[in-house]
Amino acid sequence: MTEEARRSARETIERLESSLSRGMRVRAVAALVAGLSGTVFMAALWLGEDGALPGRTRLAFALLTAFCLAWAGYGGWLLTRRVPLFATDQVIAAWIGVAASITTTALVAAVAAQRGTGPVPALAVGGLFAVTALTLAVRAHRRRAALLRRMRELTAGPEDG
Amino acid sequence: MTDELLVVRAQLGDRAALAELVTRWHGPVWTYARRMLDAGRADDVAQEIWLAVVRGLPRLREPGRFAPWLFTIARRSVADRLRGEYAGAWEELPADDPAAGDRPALGDPAVGDEAEAVVDRAELVDALSALPVPEREILVLFYLEDLSVEDCAQVCRVPVGTVKSRLHRARRMLREHLEERGYRP
Repeated sequence: MTEEARRSARETIERLESSLSRGMRVRAVAALVAGLSGTVFMAALWLGEDGALPGRTRLAFALLTAFCLAWAGYGGWLLTRRVPLFATDQVIAAWIGVAASITTTALVAAVAAQRGTGPVPALAVGGLFAVTALTLAVRAHRRRAALLRRMRELTAGPEDG
Repeated sequence: MTDELLVVRAQLGDRAALAELVTRWHGPVWTYARRMLDAGRADDVAQEIWLAVVRGLPRLREPGRFAPWLFTIARRSVADRLRGEYAGAWEELPADDPAAGDRPALGDPAVGDEAEAVVDRAELVDALSALPVPEREILVLFYLEDLSVEDCAQVCRVPVGTVKSRLHRARRMLREHLEERGYRP
């Protein structure tokens, strides 16, 4: 008698569902994007304050910035270690990142202009994030295009002989 | 449909292709885990292996080399379970006979033991379990999983010559073990 696995392939796949769920991917991307945007926003507000701030205010800024950084770290950890982001997901996530970085940059620049501190530092930092997000988006598109090309080659292979 | 096409489709996000890939390789992965571990742990480790495979699949750069990549992950999971229990069992062994690496059947007369050819699978599996981890592993990968010597070398992270010498030693140990149980040519 041949020994067999107690868990069938179907059961194995079902147990993988939680890692593959759309909700998990959305949560991971949201945590990373919101964490990074929040960090930039809080840091910009903090650095844009005129004069020396009271100790409690500085502590509050530091805590809020650290809180946002923690969320960004959690999102990054999820995306690199826990949640598989396939090629199409990566394209979508990268464009969400582009949109979020541009929105955050605009928001921070507007706040800076309103305070009269000048939007240049905010635009510089936000621009860096936007360019990074754009680079990731281009890479994600290239990766997906390469996979689609390979899929067409493999699919067409047998017919072409 | 080839494994490479399934992997490419899965990497694009095709869940059906991923499910088919898991279904296709479910048996070989479990067989490897079971041959290296007891029955109680094999199922859990096989599940861990699949979780690691799914998480790492988007980063696999060579879809055509899915099998060695899969067994590299499987080996890591099994090693994690065995660590401590067989401390040092996974250390690289010296290559003592790099020329001994062709693929004879386990009962090939060239190996010097025709009796092995008639040993049924259950008894062979039982004998396998008595071998040290490195020798057992190389026999499982080479014979049961049908990986090439080069792929075995990649999975085990040792030179090809070491795989060949380990295979030679493993076949000899298996033959001796079977002979002790009364299977003689």
